[in-house]
Amino acid sequence: MPKSRIELRFGGTGGQGLVLSAKLLADALALEGRHVAQSQTYEPTSRGGFCNADLVVAAGEVDYPLPVAFDHLVLLDKIAVKPSWPRLKDGALVIADSRLCPELPDGSMRRCHFPLNRTAIELGSERVTNIVALGVLIEMTGLCKRASVEKVIRASSPRGFLDLNMDALAAGYDLAKAPVAAAAS
Amino acid sequence: MFREAPHFDVRDYLRKEMMPHFLCPGCGHGMALRALLWALHELKIDRDKLAVVSGIGCAGRLSAYIDANTFHTTHGRPLAYATGLALARPDLHVVVITGDGDCLAIGGNHLIHACRRNLKLTCLMLNNEIYGMTGGQVSPTTSETRLTTTTPHGNTEPNFDACALAIAAGAGFVGREVTRHVPKMKELIKHGLQHPGFAFIEVLSDCTEVYGRKNDMGSSSEMVMRQKSEMRPSAYRDSVDEPFRSTDLPTGVLARNARPEYGAALRAAAAARAAK
Amino acid sequence: MNAIDRSHAKPAAKLLSGNAACAQGALDAGCTFFAGYPITPSSEIAERLSVLLPKAGGVFIQMEDEIAAMAAVVGASMGGVKALTATSGPGFSLKQENIGYAAGAEIPCVVVNVMRGGPSTGMPTRPSQADIYQTRYGSHGDYPIIVLAPASAREIYDETIRAFDLAEICRTPVILLYDQVIAQSSETVALGGRAPVHATRKWASGPRESYKPYAADADGVPPMPRPGDGYRTHTTGLTHSESGFPSQDPETVTRNLGRLYAKLDHFRDLIDSYEAVRCEDAEVVIVAIGISARAARRAVDACRAEGHKVGLFRPITLWPFPEIALREATQHAKAILVPELNIGQLRLEIERQLRDRRVEGLHLISGEPITPAQIAAAATKLATEV
Repeated sequence: MPKSRIELRFGGTGGQGLVLSAKLLADALALEGRHVAQSQTYEPTSRGGFCNADLVVAAGEVDYPLPVAFDHLVLLDKIAVKPSWPRLKDGALVIADSRLCPELPDGSMRRCHFPLNRTAIELGSERVTNIVALGVLIEMTGLCKRASVEKVIRASSPRGFLDLNMDALAAGYDLAKAPVAAAAS
Repeated sequence: MFREAPHFDVRDYLRKEMMPHFLCPGCGHGMALRALLWALHELKIDRDKLAVVSGIGCAGRLSAYIDANTFHTTHGRPLAYATGLALARPDLHVVVITGDGDCLAIGGNHLIHACRRNLKLTCLMLNNEIYGMTGGQVSPTTSETRLTTTTPHGNTEPNFDACALAIAAGAGFVGREVTRHVPKMKELIKHGLQHPGFAFIEVLSDCTEVYGRKNDMGSSSEMVMRQKSEMRPSAYRDSVDEPFRSTDLPTGVLARNARPEYGAALRAAAAARAAK
Repeated sequence: MNAIDRSHAKPAAKLLSGNAACAQGALDAGCTFFAGYPITPSSEIAERLSVLLPKAGGVFIQMEDEIAAMAAVVGASMGGVKALTATSGPGFSLKQENIGYAAGAEIPCVVVNVMRGGPSTGMPTRPSQADIYQTRYGSHGDYPIIVLAPASAREIYDETIRAFDLAEICRTPVILLYDQVIAQSSETVALGGRAPVHATRKWASGPRESYKPYAADADGVPPMPRPGDGYRTHTTGLTHSESGFPSQDPETVTRNLGRLYAKLDHFRDLIDSYEAVRCEDAEVVIVAIGISARAARRAVDACRAEGHKVGLFRPITLWPFPEIALREATQHAKAILVPELNIGQLRLEIERQLRDRRVEGLHLISGEPITPAQIAAAATKLATEV
């Protein structure tokens, strides 16, 4: 039986596909019969500015749809550190991009750095950094089955992006096998 | 030419319970209304299927006199109401009656977009150069130097050429007529009603009681007689020190272009997408 | 089997944002016309209906401005179809005159207002609950109106359908009011559990000669003439008599406006809706809507776990305010707590309804939602004081 309520955030800047990652994960969880509430806070610009995509996962109906304290935090830009850090649970998992979010504050969290962005660039497009991150998160947490998220990605990818997305997801799974503990800043 | 079709009796088209009407003696709007009803009659438009949408002002009140489905809406918005009505009910024949203030000032945005969109509507704008109902304030078509209750020293703003505006905004059919020529007005409105898209018709009408009196323009018959000679200089063409020079604003059909009608195009696009 | 297990057995649940739920609800309610203008955070309703409506044989149009969108919706409804527009703060301000027209001329329509921070352009992407009075009193003059305030994607779906039903039954504009968080958050929703009521408009029938468009039935609602059916009536925003023609006769004007209020009173059983959670023995009752009510729901559990008798009263119909239900839910309450994202709006109404009770507000105007912890702390403080 999964934990009764899990809260997580994809944090970064507008245009990084954070909301998409959260929605893909939410759809995958919904497929598995979990109850999900997905929300976002953003600035009134389509690109740039902070953007946080949050997820609350529960076994039953979600009473309060916004996160209170995060179990997991994915950071694709340093801009998201400050507003998110005080809301991390003890022992929370933090997945951060090595280049875009190189410095993390101290704490009792499990802090991991991954070359998410570099991996995406090597795959051919920086735009799938969010999918690489999603792969890492799923692999490290077991939040949902691989098959569920793959099904969702297959159903929702625009033509020409499906292979790239699947490659990015797989690259994320691989990265997760070798987490790099973040150095204290 | 000036004889009406034998079976046209304007009283057949008016709501008797609304008589006597509230227009001032000498007001040109009655002649415009007559021309509209005459045109509807000659085209045999079924009044059960006729919707007349009007805004606020003297022109806006005319809808109540017409024995049809009539909607007296809010100031400046009759084109927007009519857009919703015509899209929801393509089986209706929708006519809009508006005035210069209603159509060009508070409702100006709706006019240019109605012209651009080209939904089948017939828009009849009665231009008397004044806000008559509120007591004679300056409007976007008031000629320069004219006296109004808000231009006590003479109007200093240039005025709109509504037809040029409609043409520039892409209206498929644009025409202008004066109330002095009721049969020609009727013919022009008939063309507009038959146009398969947005038709804009400006009628130069006289406000005798407020505008005429304030500017010493004589009796209503004198105002009507001068419609094509002395009145309505265009600020864009005339110098301010010579405001009453004869200008001969062009009348008749000023633009007629076949463009795709908006409602039909919308329905065709939806059908094509549904078929995919 | 408890609720949680039952929901597990429903894998058909889909992730739906509040705005998407609204669009789907409109479609399922039989709406065939949408006119709108882009504005954050309500645009997703327009975007979704631009796909769904043409497929269903309906019309979607993006108008030149907010005023035109409202006017087009009233125009479409005058033509006989169920029509919707959706907007937010600044756009809702612009729509007010034509909302008043719809109320006065009794044209059914549904208007969604997604609340964002104000005044003016304010905070387009942040939640607010500061339009509570604007929905009730936004247009000039005296007029009654119905305002529904759903608090989840699922409820937005249901209340959108109910909004159309009430609009048609009562011949009145209905406002659907919710905040940016509820609008743009997605939740797993299993649609189809509730059979939507499809209220149809009461159309005029019978002889045309003696027909009076504003002669009401016993329920206060006059049957509406449909253009094309041969009634050839006049509709105006001027005060009018039963004939539909303008009138300023004092007796006629008084009677007609009185009827607008009376017809909503007649349908109060249908209009009123609320949720009362653990209010039976509550010494502190929290009154809240939207995202604040969702936080309050958590706070109630937290307070109860600490032994405090705290309950939640959530008006789903905001206007007319369900005052009888409020009085019932607060009969044992020594204090009322009103958490809301404004400087004190819902609190005013509660103070007005419960003059003999201590009413405290918890007001946040920072553009952030109120958290369950903040509400629990305030409720606990009240519970220990009273």
